[in-house]
Amino acid sequence: MLIIPAIDIINGKCVRLTRGDFTLVKKYNNDPVKIAKQFTTTGATRLHLIDLDGARCGKPINFATIKNIRKNTSAILEVGGGIRNFQNAKKYLDLGIDKIILGTSAIGNFQLLKKIIKNYGIQRIIISLDIKNEKINTNGWQNNTKINYLSVAKKLKQLDIKEIICTDISRDGTLTKPNLEPIKKLQTIGFKVIISGGVSNITTIKNLQTKKFYGCIIGKGLYENKIDLTDVIKLTHIKNNLTKRIIPCLDVKNGRVVKGTKFKKLLDAGDPAELGKKYAKAGADELVFLDISATLENRKTLAGLVAEVAKNIFIPFTVGGGVKSIRDINILLKAGADRVAINSAGVLNPELIRQAAKKFGSQCIVVAIDAKKIDNKYYVYINSGKTKTNLPVLGWARRVEKMGAGEILLTAIDRDGTKAGFANDLLRQITATVNIPVIASGGGGKIIDFKKALEFGRADAVLAASVFHYNKISIDKLKKYLIKNKFNSRT
Amino acid sequence: MIAIIDYNSGNVASLANALKKLGYDFVITADKNTIKKANKIIFPGQGRAGQAMKQLKKAGLIDILKNNSVPFLGICLGMQLLAEYSAEDKTVGLKIIPGQVKKFSDNIKIPQIGWNKVKLTKKSPLTKNISNLSCFYFVHSYYLETDKKFVLGETDYSITYPTIINKGNFYATQFHPEKSGEVGLQLLSNFCKLC
Repeated sequence: MLIIPAIDIINGKCVRLTRGDFTLVKKYNNDPVKIAKQFTTTGATRLHLIDLDGARCGKPINFATIKNIRKNTSAILEVGGGIRNFQNAKKYLDLGIDKIILGTSAIGNFQLLKKIIKNYGIQRIIISLDIKNEKINTNGWQNNTKINYLSVAKKLKQLDIKEIICTDISRDGTLTKPNLEPIKKLQTIGFKVIISGGVSNITTIKNLQTKKFYGCIIGKGLYENKIDLTDVIKLTHIKNNLTKRIIPCLDVKNGRVVKGTKFKKLLDAGDPAELGKKYAKAGADELVFLDISATLENRKTLAGLVAEVAKNIFIPFTVGGGVKSIRDINILLKAGADRVAINSAGVLNPELIRQAAKKFGSQCIVVAIDAKKIDNKYYVYINSGKTKTNLPVLGWARRVEKMGAGEILLTAIDRDGTKAGFANDLLRQITATVNIPVIASGGGGKIIDFKKALEFGRADAVLAASVFHYNKISIDKLKKYLIKNKFNSRT
Repeated sequence: MIAIIDYNSGNVASLANALKKLGYDFVITADKNTIKKANKIIFPGQGRAGQAMKQLKKAGLIDILKNNSVPFLGICLGMQLLAEYSAEDKTVGLKIIPGQVKKFSDNIKIPQIGWNKVKLTKKSPLTKNISNLSCFYFVHSYYLETDKKFVLGETDYSITYPTIINKGNFYATQFHPEKSGEVGLQLLSNFCKLC
């Protein structure tokens, strides 16, 4: 079960209210940033941040504090309180807040909700339903409405909302048991429901865990030492031994592996089959082969060369470059590729992605996205980074997921070959928005860059070329470093 | 001769490459007589359960798969199809192994793509010379739930679920041994040596 420690903020300080009553404030005179770091170190993967001043005033007040928390923790952050227009939603989401919590605004303003969904996707939104005797409460719990929560829930379902935080106000901060009736009903409708209010001791958490609820927020119990976070994390930990993949990339031109900087100034780096064999032996978790001249010179990837590499490696093998049709994919798969990466052709003809996923299965289709920042916004580039499109990267990533892509290979062009570190801000935006795995590419130079891409970028795999080709980093050493830093890695 | 069942459900090139590397003769086939004569059967599979069962029916292979008595290895979807029922497309399976195929719960990324550990729970010639907790390569959204007595190995992904199973001459792995490096080749080689 997902455990989400709460940090409620008033005037830059960490507080708790009782039953949402602003006159019953209890200060826990702690620095919220310090608390957030503490929770994350203890093993919390997600934090619930509420700007209580914001909730009361209807606009963000503790933005600076929240920004500081974002800067200092890698946990998934959900933020609520005073987000009632698009501008404020955008402010938080562009900052790299993973999910914003909308309450009052959502119930009164479906147009706003639709606009946020259209721009950022459904994954970035959580709706908070504060319920008192089956009726919705709004404005920081100061107004009780006559609206039944189920009628609102049905409308939210139509918008395809996935996550709901359900707070029973009569129980919040009272250290009593939560009321499970509304939660069960919301679950039946198909929401992922996060329980809030009254989760105050380990017995309650055990009980919720046994009943297979999706998640719960813990607050006061934690601050008053009635719950030990270490125990809770241990009890509710979601088992997962899946390892983070390390992927060497072969950029191939005229039958040779080459490597450039920012997609230019290409230098020879060796024979593809030889390098493939070398990396498989060295412990690479996957091999990516990109025929980088294919799109430009409008010719097909050399199936023979692919077959030559495939013959000797028994790890997953992804091939891209110049893939334009179902027929191209078929040829590459027959030659021994396990997965095929679609790039430019997918942008020019998005239907190709859908058809390919349908025919070969999503697991087979990787969509490669080359991104470049222009005026503080990332755009999709095609034709080996030569041509800018008007597609914002975030929107394109969501679209390819919808069309059936099984994974995204995200390359930050400005980082390519620079060894300046991965574009973690961009990565975070993408991994927060889509639910398919994302491979980070472009900029891996130092061993710590790889850790940062996994930690702050939340990438599922990291890809690099030069550092491996020129023996700057050994795969073995990188993996040992990741294990030391508590990542799962295959050895 | 090893028969790799080709029922138009996924790519068998990698599997062929692996068997070549190990030095075993094989034939990629959907022909009943060829399969009958084979002394081993490998049953791969990718894609969706519903479509795969349709293809098997169309090729007339259901009975021959169920009633064979030579060592048989299901891989990935080829493991899931051995069950009685799959939640994917509400598909009735081959009913070779008692059990149900379910989808991973939504508290984790689906599909699972990548390398995960396999805890060996029972000794078997199939897992000879394979270290406990070795990593294998997985790509899937559904898992097979079956009786512990059929389980040779299991894996943690949200839940602990069977990833190597065996019942009589039927063996199966949820992961892709042909894509799991040295340890995967070891498992395939163990299978090829079964009599």
